[in-house]
Parts: sequence; structure tokens; C-alpha cells
Amino acid sequence: MEKVLLKKAFPQWVKKLESYTIYSPQKDGDLWNYEVIKNSEAIDLDYLNTVLSPKKIIFPQREVLLEFSTSNEEELKVKEVLPEEMPAVIFGVRPCDAKALTLTDKVFGGDFKDPYYWKRRNSTALVGLTCNAPPSSNCFCLSVDGSPYSKEGLDILMTDLGDKYYAESFTKKGDELLNSAKALFKTPTAKDKKDLEKIKAESKKKVKRQIKDTAKIPPKLKDMFDSPFWDEESLSCIRCGICTYLCPTCHCFDMNDEVTSSSPIQGERVRTWDNCQFPDFTMHSSGHNPRPDKASRLRQRILHKFQYFVELYKNYQCTGCGRCISKCPVGIDIIEVLEKARDYGR
Amino acid sequence: MVNLEELKKEASQILKEGKVKYIIGFQRSSNGLLPVPAFIKDPEDADKLVWDPACVYNLTLFLRDEKRKKEKEKEPDERPVGIIVKGCDSRAINVLLQEEFIKREDVYVLGISCENTGVLDEKKLAKKLKGKKAKRVEFGAKDDFVITTEDGQVKIAAQEVLAERCLECKAHFPVIYDVLIGEKTKRNVENPFKSLEKTESLPPEERWKFWKEQIEKCIRCYACRSVCPMCYCDECVADTINFVVTPENFVYHFVRAIHLAGRCIDCGECERVCPLDIPVRFLNKKLEKEAKELFDYEAGFDPEKPSLVSSFKDEDPEDFIR
Repeated sequence: MEKVLLKKAFPQWVKKLESYTIYSPQKDGDLWNYEVIKNSEAIDLDYLNTVLSPKKIIFPQREVLLEFSTSNEEELKVKEVLPEEMPAVIFGVRPCDAKALTLTDKVFGGDFKDPYYWKRRNSTALVGLTCNAPPSSNCFCLSVDGSPYSKEGLDILMTDLGDKYYAESFTKKGDELLNSAKALFKTPTAKDKKDLEKIKAESKKKVKRQIKDTAKIPPKLKDMFDSPFWDEESLSCIRCGICTYLCPTCHCFDMNDEVTSSSPIQGERVRTWDNCQFPDFTMHSSGHNPRPDKASRLRQRILHKFQYFVELYKNYQCTGCGRCISKCPVGIDIIEVLEKARDYGR
Repeated sequence: MVNLEELKKEASQILKEGKVKYIIGFQRSSNGLLPVPAFIKDPEDADKLVWDPACVYNLTLFLRDEKRKKEKEKEPDERPVGIIVKGCDSRAINVLLQEEFIKREDVYVLGISCENTGVLDEKKLAKKLKGKKAKRVEFGAKDDFVITTEDGQVKIAAQEVLAERCLECKAHFPVIYDVLIGEKTKRNVENPFKSLEKTESLPPEERWKFWKEQIEKCIRCYACRSVCPMCYCDECVADTINFVVTPENFVYHFVRAIHLAGRCIDCGECERVCPLDIPVRFLNKKLEKEAKELFDYEAGFDPEKPSLVSSFKDEDPEDFIR
């Protein structure tokens, strides 16, 4: 379904969606982040990319999986805590971040369908926004099979045509959202369609950064596991978790029992994001750590994204959002690391 | 003015003579305004060294890696590591010496004076340039910075875009060095704790609200800890799950702040690297002020002096004991 919506009518549309929880990028100081919106006028889609991607809504950094307790030394009671069914709409999703969710879908939707993830994923609609201009100077979506107007993972893609939005719906969920305010949406004219194509074509030219010959990288990495390359590239790494925590595709998690009372026993089992850049990521209880230094941990990040994931799912586990480059405290640049790896030893 | 050629010459010389095993300095990045850390072994590569107002990093944090690496080597190279430091960074060297984390013979200190300016606050600059992308920043002749953007050069008074910590700096030239590049200029800082005034003036409830909101944003990436040269504990208490069982972030931030009392030398790196813009520097700055006012103690000026928390004087205040 394809429709156009006048920009000034946008808040009215959002108002019609009152049965949904609405998220959109909000400015806090100099930064943008997804927040729940109470007032439809408060949505500002003139934003750069958010610090954290919408991944944090579908797959929160900390979530309770189950509660456990004993009373009067009786047997242990365990209660599963599933997320509440809460239909939600996320506005202003960048195509790279939406595509990233299609990658985490593969991880949480394999032989075991993770009920926590899917409960949120299925009840959330993603309304994207074409990147007329790149939201970050480090964007490189075109090099990892993406585009500034990719529809992958989105229910609706909106494109800013100046005084109106061109809305393309790709799913039943998307159609429902457009139908909820039928009177506000008009059928696109031939000129609207022409403008849309023009903006899309231009948007591609504005992406400044790229990885050359990305396809050559996965086979090359296969033979680089023991290479001194990783020592050289990781010299300036400080072992923080920014690159992975801000990544829209990183999905590793840990589970811990957080005990709130020891007698009687009471507590929760929680799932939290884990981070391959932290020393305890692969620490064994014996004290042995198969990834003992920052070189092996940088290698893990790169190989997971550009070799292991490609072998498993035929996709790069990177959508080119550029967050890890922009926010690295010491300027480690994944594009540079990949290109150096591609040319290493030549 | 700091002569970069002098620095390169000195670096190349000590590498050639084998005085140091390598030099930790700054080099141009292929993308982005800030230089990146350089680890230079070959005397010819000394030419890659740069010095400009975007050399923000406190490179002394890499002495931690060097020490860990050396501990693992069977026959370690006992020569020192050459390290380029600004005034604030040099205070970190003094604290590490005082705490016996490193020995004086482990480092060959190439000190650079910040003279009348200091380093850049990228966010302040971005606001000044209103969307234009800065490609290069250089020291100007009149305490200003020369900024190269896509549309040419602009000059901005350094004061307008300096990092907050530089405006409150107590050591604009190195306090410990083997070689000093640049001049020992005079500079008066009226109030080194000026940035604290705003939060200090708030009533306790509002201050608590401010910090609660700030610290709730934390995603525990631990970049503030990782970038801190003083955070060299083998195992951090924040990583032991049986200690920090609370989902709140307060425990982590307050433990870190307390652990840095009398040790933080205000390089401000913790705040610069925070991806969520949490003003973590204020926590450390506040404790720096307490140390100064209560115990007349300032970290990183004298490696021979006993450290704040491992010593006491008869005249120390004790009215907090009730």
C-alpha cells in the first residue's frame, strides 16, 4: 500500500494510534534516543541517528526471565515472567536499524523461538524513515547490502518529500496503521512517485563512506584466525564495551540469578546484554579464558560479524550504521580494519 | 610555540639510540578529526607523530597494557617506553609512580607544554561550526585554534572551544619529564572548581534528582573505567556479579568516584568518552575539591609524598566521625 500524508497531519495520525505505545527519537542534550511519546506533537523526525538503536526496545538490556522463591523451606517455586503483550509503534527507524532486527530475528528465531524476544517483536510495528542525507558521517550501509531506503524489517517506510511524507507499507501491520486514519492519507500522484524516486536515487549518492570489495572479506578472514594482524589492530583498544553495546546487531547475552533474599530464597533470573569486549565474556570457572586479550576480543567482534554470521546465515552481521566508528574512544574504525584485513599479506 | 619537528627529532633519536623500546604518541587518523594513539618502534616512523589541539587522549592508560605484557614475558625488554604527555597526563605518571604501579625507569617521558591553551572539546567545536565538519585543528599564533573545514579555514579563540578541564587546569605544562617540548608559560586559573558551582548550588533533593537522571542513562559500557589510567585493578569490583546485584548504576559510579578520590588528575577522559554524555567528571572533580579543602591534597604533583588515603596527619579534620 502506498499513500501520502501531509506533514502537518502527521501528529493527527499519531493521535489516532492511541491504543499503541509510541516510541520515537527524542533529544536529550546533544543526543537522540528512543523514548515513549505521550504527546503526538512531540515527535520530531528531523533527527540524526539515535545513540542506541531500537534493538533496546525489542531486546532490552536487562529483562527478567523468571522469578523463584521458597517459602517455609518448601520446594522451589518458579514463575515464568513473559513480557506483557503491548502493541507498540516505533517511529523514525533508520533502515539500517530495521535491517539489524531482521538479523537478530535469525538468532532468536532458529530451532528455538525465544518467547521473550518474539512477544515484543511481534507486537511492535516499525515505521522507518528514508535517510535523505546520511544521519552520521560514518554511515556505510551501501557496502553491507543495505541502502538509505531499504525496506527490510520495516512495516512502513516514510520518505520526506518536503511538505509531505510518502508512506509505503509492506506488511499487514503497516496497512493497519495507515488504515487507522484513512481520511488523512491521500493516493500518491504521478509527481509524488517521481519525487520519491528522485530522492531515493539522490540519497544513495550522499553516503560518503564505503568498504571496497566487501565480498572478498569473509573468505579472507577465514585464514586469519592466528594472524598477528589482530595484535597490531587492537593496540589502541581500551577494552570498553561501546562498539558492541551500541551495535544494532550485537545480540550476545548473559543470564544471572539475582537473589534478593537468601532465607527464604527469593530472586529473579535476569537476562542482560553481554559484550565480547569484556574480559569475563568467555571466562571459564576454572580461570581459563580462551579469549584472554584485547587482540582475541577484537578478532571475535570482526569474525562474528564478517565470517561466522556470514557462514551461518548468509548475511553480514553489520548494517553500516557507523555507531562503533563514531563513538570509539580511540578511533578504531571497522571499515579500516576490514579493508586492512582484506589486503593483509598481499 | 611547540615545535613538532623538535618532538619528531627527539623521538627518532631515542629510538635510534635504543633508549626506549617504543614510543606511545599521537598520529593522524585516516578518518575523523581526532588523531589516534600511535605505537612507534621504527625511528623512521617518528615522522608520523603529530601534535595539535585534538590530541586529547591521556596516553598513560596504555602503561597498564605495557605492564601486563611485560609480566607475561619470560625475558622482558627492560628498556623504558617513551610516552608523550601533556601536563595533566604527566600528573597521572606521578600517581602511578607514587602507587608503585610503575617505576621511574619504566618510562621515558616526552612532555609537551600546553602553553596558553590546551585541548579541544569536540562538542563545543561542533556547535560553533553549526554543522560544518572540521577536518583539522591546529594551534594558532595568538592563543587561538585554526580550524580547517570543508569550506576553508576559520580562527576561533581557544577559550571558546577548550575542554572544560583545560579551563580549570592546574598543570598546563608537565610536572615530570625527561624532555620538555614547548615553553613553561605562566597561567592563572582563578577557580579550578568553577564547573562545580552549578550543581553545588542546588538543594540536595534537586542534586539527587539530577544525578539520578544522569546515572540512569548509563549502559555500563565501562568506557569511563577503561579509559582511566588510574583504573588498573586486575579485577574490578563492578565485574563481580555477587557484589553489584542491584540493577541500578549508582553502585558502580559511586565506587569508582570514591576509588579515585585523591588519585584523579582531571584528564577528563571519562567524560569525553561517555556515549551517553553523562557528566562523570563532576563526581571526580567534587572529590578532588574535598581532598584539597579538607586535606590540602592535590594528586599527581609529588610522587614521593604519601598518597591521600594511605596517610594521615594529626591536624586532619575528623568532624565527620560521629
